[in-house]
Amino acid sequence: MLKLALIVLIILAIFTIQTQKMRHAVVYLGAFSLTISFVYLLYNAPDVAIAEAIIGSTLSTILYLVALQKYKIFTVYYCLSEEEFKDQSHLTTEHLQFNKLLDKYCAKQELEPQIIYTVDNVDTIKAHHQYALIVLNESSHITIWGHPENYKLDSIIAFFDSEIHFKIPIEFIKVEEVIE
Amino acid sequence: MNDHSDLISKTLPITYPFVLLFGIYIVVNGHVTPGGGFQGGAVIASILILKYLIDPSVETSLKKIRTIEKLALLLIFLFPLGFLLTFIHLQFPMFNCSYLILMNLLISIKVACGMSIIFIRFVFYETR
Repeated sequence: MLKLALIVLIILAIFTIQTQKMRHAVVYLGAFSLTISFVYLLYNAPDVAIAEAIIGSTLSTILYLVALQKYKIFTVYYCLSEEEFKDQSHLTTEHLQFNKLLDKYCAKQELEPQIIYTVDNVDTIKAHHQYALIVLNESSHITIWGHPENYKLDSIIAFFDSEIHFKIPIEFIKVEEVIE
Repeated sequence: MNDHSDLISKTLPITYPFVLLFGIYIVVNGHVTPGGGFQGGAVIASILILKYLIDPSVETSLKKIRTIEKLALLLIFLFPLGFLLTFIHLQFPMFNCSYLILMNLLISIKVACGMSIIFIRFVFYETR
């Protein structure tokens, strides 16, 4: 039994290092902790086994998962014209309302929004920058481009549909993946 | 974790009392069976994680927990001094068992508060 558990430990350790996705590595690490607490139990150390099972496989796993969740940065580009950039005339009530809604969405999904105001064209941003969303704010109309790898786009659309009192029509465009 | 799941939010609150009972059992029986203040405190602290899994938007205030933790630390310093320096453990040996249980309880409160503070600070306040 002990030898079997030790072999499982080595296999889990190799899996932890070799996986591509961080999330899988965290889960393998939790399984590793659980197995090593069983090994402690076989070595007649139940005290250490309880502490390892609680701290190693529960607390630290959840802390790592939350950290991974927080690490994801959600980059939002606002496209403005040069006059808007100078005299700040884009800060209308609708725009502020939209900002508040976006912040609410990010807080709900536990994303870290990183908002950048640019005067660049939409196409240049699409070609040269890492982005999750591009927002083009015209009067009485908002256009949003979503990155092809942005898997949150559907939930964003659902979120803005559910906010009924937000009057301005929003057009969502899913950018097609460019094949090189 | 990010989406609010009905299944989790309805089933996990049932486990609250059992987790609490298990933690108290580990603490109170710490001097005869495996376990003790640290392990029981860690079990009790995991209630906070359950609460976070059920509803991530609810924030808990740090100030109260900090005060309780400091109070527990003060008592942990004071009780052994008062118990050992007055030689009660030699005159009345039957108090030794209750002394151990009391110290385990104090340590468990301290550990639970400390782990809760770590978790709350990390989850609600730290951003990158």
